[in-house]
Amino acid sequence: MSVWIDSLLAVLAVFLAVRCLLAPTLPQCVFLFFAFGLALALAWARLGAVDVAIAEAAIAAGFLGVLLIDALRDFAAPRTHGETAQKPHFLTQVLLGAGLVVFLYVALEAVWNVPDGGGLTALAADNLPRSGVDHPVTAVLLNYRSYDTWLEVGVVLMALLALFATGGKELFRRPVVGAVDPLLRQVILFFTPVLFLVGAFLLYLGKTEPGGAFQAAVLWGAAGILLHLGGWPVFAAMPRWTRQVLLTAGFGFFLLLGFIFMSGGSALFEYPVAYAGVLILIVETLAALSIAAALTAIFAYFNGMKAASVENEIPDPS
Amino acid sequence: MEAFFITVCLFLLLNICLGLVRVWRGPTVADRLLTTQLFGTTGMAVLIILAGYLGELTLLNVAITFNVLAILLVICLVQVWKSGAKGGEA
Repeated sequence: MSVWIDSLLAVLAVFLAVRCLLAPTLPQCVFLFFAFGLALALAWARLGAVDVAIAEAAIAAGFLGVLLIDALRDFAAPRTHGETAQKPHFLTQVLLGAGLVVFLYVALEAVWNVPDGGGLTALAADNLPRSGVDHPVTAVLLNYRSYDTWLEVGVVLMALLALFATGGKELFRRPVVGAVDPLLRQVILFFTPVLFLVGAFLLYLGKTEPGGAFQAAVLWGAAGILLHLGGWPVFAAMPRWTRQVLLTAGFGFFLLLGFIFMSGGSALFEYPVAYAGVLILIVETLAALSIAAALTAIFAYFNGMKAASVENEIPDPS
Repeated sequence: MEAFFITVCLFLLLNICLGLVRVWRGPTVADRLLTTQLFGTTGMAVLIILAGYLGELTLLNVAITFNVLAILLVICLVQVWKSGAKGGEA
């Protein structure tokens, strides 16, 4: 009987993906992408990958949604057709196609051949008591494979640095909205603490159950974005050194910890078993704070960029 | 009981499929956004039903995450498009 749910979800996800790619207008494409995110989150939940489902729900429905809606407004104004209707380059198409085929082949190769005995699952489960946490996914992310997670925190920071490099930092200084509508003010006053608390809850839950730093970071970042939209640009209002410390704390502390224990004779990112639980919680908290600050900054940047460009350009007659 | 869970789940999923019509045709962005809100609520209901059906209560956390983030899109749409209109007039 439950095969009906699974097949409906599978058909829905693929259908939405295809529709989203082939949608003729941008708003259709963006909102079909939200629906696709929902179908994907439900599919992950049905598959039992609750961690991925939470991440998908938080990133696709929250952060990406806000970015896409913000971007949608930039493209909503009618513009001259000449710059967008460029003929696709033949060589680029061939290279992209070839790259996709190779990527698909590698992915299929990796998924098709499951090693005998379930691969590393047994090893990961055996070492769980020594990892400092009770949830296998968190153990893999923050203990066995901390190097990957550390680089992921770095990727978010790198995205922000790229934005700084292309657009300059002065855009953060401008205030966004003037007078705040009383209803909006109440909504923001209510939801900011709720977002913060749910984020903290997910962060702490990561120790024993699905949840963790990245999901918490999106919720904290959502609180920052909400405040920014309500006319309190929290990130821009902070002094420069606070912003720098906040953005680099997760990445830096992770690295520092790795080197401190390396000097004691263990491998990079190998934690002493007795303190592993506490250290992982501290690393996760700082990483979540840094990612949340970076997400808020990225949104603030895009929002500010548009405000600046609207003022500089000649306003549209429409 | 199992048949009940699955029937409700299928009904909610078919509701999402119907909502897609509005996403596809909806003349304005606001229409489409309201459908997204419907999707969020229906998705939460599906997750809660699945949590009961599979006996996995952690799925409720996914539902909570959907729930608290749903407001963000609405506020973003209202604020971003409103401030844009002001900029255009100036």
